[in-house]
Amino acid sequence: MTAPAVRAGLPRPFLRLRVAGYAFFLPFFVVFLVAVVAPLAYAIYLSFFQDRMIGGTVFSGLANYTRAISDALFGAGLLRVALFLVVQVPVMLLIALGCALAIDSGRLRWPSLFRITIFMPYAVPAVVSALMWGYIYGDQFGLVGQIGDALGVAAPNLMSRSWMLGSIGNMVTWEFVGYNMIILYAALRAIPEELYEAAEMDGAGAIRIAWSVKLPALRPALLVATIFSIIGSFQLFNEPNILQTLAPAVITTSYTPNMYAYSLAFNGQQINYSAAVAVVLGLVTVVVAYAVQILTARREKTL
Amino acid sequence: MKTRPSRRGVVTGGVAAALSLALAACGGGTGGGATTAPSAAPSASAAVQDALAKPAELTFWTWVTGIEKTVARFQAKYPNIKVNVVNAGQSADQYTKLQTAIKAGSGAPDVAQIEYFALPQFALAKQVVNLSDYGAAALKDKFAPAAWGQVAINGGVFGIPQDTGPMAMFYRKDIFDKLKLKPPTTWAEFIDTAKKIKADNPDNFLTSIDPGDAGGVDSLIWQAGGAPFKTSGESSVSVTLATDPGVKQWVGTWNTLLSEKLVDPQPGWTDEWWKGMGSGKYAAWLTGAWAPNGIINSIPKTKGKWAVAPMPQYDAAKPMNAENGGSSVAVIPQSKNIPAAVAFAEWLNSDPEAVKSLNTEAGLFPATKALLDDPAFRDTPQEFFGGQKINQVLGDASAAVRADWQYLPFQVYANSIFKDTVGQAVDGGGDLSAALKSWQDRITAFGTEQGFTLSGG
Repeated sequence: MTAPAVRAGLPRPFLRLRVAGYAFFLPFFVVFLVAVVAPLAYAIYLSFFQDRMIGGTVFSGLANYTRAISDALFGAGLLRVALFLVVQVPVMLLIALGCALAIDSGRLRWPSLFRITIFMPYAVPAVVSALMWGYIYGDQFGLVGQIGDALGVAAPNLMSRSWMLGSIGNMVTWEFVGYNMIILYAALRAIPEELYEAAEMDGAGAIRIAWSVKLPALRPALLVATIFSIIGSFQLFNEPNILQTLAPAVITTSYTPNMYAYSLAFNGQQINYSAAVAVVLGLVTVVVAYAVQILTARREKTL
Repeated sequence: MKTRPSRRGVVTGGVAAALSLALAACGGGTGGGATTAPSAAPSASAAVQDALAKPAELTFWTWVTGIEKTVARFQAKYPNIKVNVVNAGQSADQYTKLQTAIKAGSGAPDVAQIEYFALPQFALAKQVVNLSDYGAAALKDKFAPAAWGQVAINGGVFGIPQDTGPMAMFYRKDIFDKLKLKPPTTWAEFIDTAKKIKADNPDNFLTSIDPGDAGGVDSLIWQAGGAPFKTSGESSVSVTLATDPGVKQWVGTWNTLLSEKLVDPQPGWTDEWWKGMGSGKYAAWLTGAWAPNGIINSIPKTKGKWAVAPMPQYDAAKPMNAENGGSSVAVIPQSKNIPAAVAFAEWLNSDPEAVKSLNTEAGLFPATKALLDDPAFRDTPQEFFGGQKINQVLGDASAAVRADWQYLPFQVYANSIFKDTVGQAVDGGGDLSAALKSWQDRITAFGTEQGFTLSGG
């Protein structure tokens, strides 16, 4: 009596597990489909057409893509954010690393105050921070100008052609140091006590521990922070977009690839070409982020 | 449940769009539309009048501050029609939303503020109702010719003029008096005056020019007698920024002003700029007649120091003027009650009570002849301007505007890339004519891609 029942029931728990698994997965999957896959698929679909003011919409195959690849304005914007990435991301991550190590060292008097203060700019909306920095950078009546006046020197115009990228880098660093510090600090807290004890027994000082224990343990977290920053750099939009009203001749409509895509879609009604530019930008970001990941993984293996 | 009303919205939107397409086709197909207008107009304009008595709800997108007061007057007069005033952003921001809503088939307002420079784009794409199908052509004589010229496009009428911005020179009388200067009447005198201001204090300028403001330069070119943009028919566009004689006049003067650093290339309307306007760093502002409101609100401490003079001229014997800014009010085909929307747009911008309210309560410079010629408007001394009767100067400035100026059917985009091209020369002291050529090249490339036939040099 029991044996067949058991045999017949055998797949049942598996089936139930499977159903339960899908049930848990479903809410995420639906949101993922609606919020990520569908817009992406729609953008890719749009990128194969051309909508003209005279003549309407026609299928244009890969024409938008061949145009995007050879578009000098898009290329210049990509190079600009790449330069930004190469300079700003290491600076920001080094500062974040220093802050995380300082809090973790236990030698600060009010570590939580320090942590909150550095994290605070991340909580300020990018638009507000850009407006604030726009005021600070003013070389005539802004803070920089006033300091220059007080010191009796001509303040540099931080929103001129040669300074602008650095000024944006400064804003982005200010905004995101705290965020990256938290990622790194969390990783530091996850290092087991025993490692420190062992290092101390071996006679390692604080700096030696930071170098030989903490840094290697931080590598995965640093990789995550780097990848986030790479994506953030390629997506650069808010800060230059707000500063554009203050320096229209410096921040052109194609200053960053995202600004270019925005301008094409919304000022130029070239939604299809804009979609192609966005897709190419996404691909470039994926390739760079993946390359960084592979390079670090390979180095880890050789170490 | 929730999808049903919106789907119905799409359907009616589509029907309305198809209807307006059909109407527009009637107007355009017969060549001039004169043959169809008389038969269509009376019944359509009767429908517009009838609509005022029927209950309706309209949404009106505008960024004019204070216009609620004028709308409230409309509601008091026509209580059946409820108007919701929505600020959907300023200029290009609003156009983006408007175009998105029109393409999506739902979510667009019934009535929207559209600046003159953007109207041809909406008209060409049939994204605004041709109001001559509803008898609006009859309003022509109520408006200043330059204002009407901006809404009469391709034989149709695509908006009702709301305000205008005839250009004038707002200047700091205190600074001019101190330096014993007179407001320049010609551009040659303007250059001299700029040199004297600079000689007095090298940190000060006669005026500034915004490297990001295409509209400002369009107006200065217009005032110089230029006509670099021309559209004929629906798809033929000529751009002559490199060769137009009026453009060359402008280039001659402004190359001198910029290369000798007599004017400050500084973006306008920023905090820094207003501080410069307040501190006396800039002695004059060449802009539209709507400026007094901005000056009074942004730098109230300069009260009594300002005065207004006509624009400097290239040829004093043949004075010419231009518009800077100004908006129309257009009806969107998606509207479920186009006659009521047309009636509202017409009342708002042509009824004597309304235009007076727009002027005094919303600070707009009038577009109607009746108000421009009204002695109560012209001859009232303005306290902020030291008792000067500024509306006499501004009213005359309006009468001198060349009415034949045209914008491109894609001026919104063309203006957006101004900063990439001409703005570079304005900011960096480069040659304006080379920069205008590169602006022209980008405009030509865009227009060709959009299916227009472009010509010009």
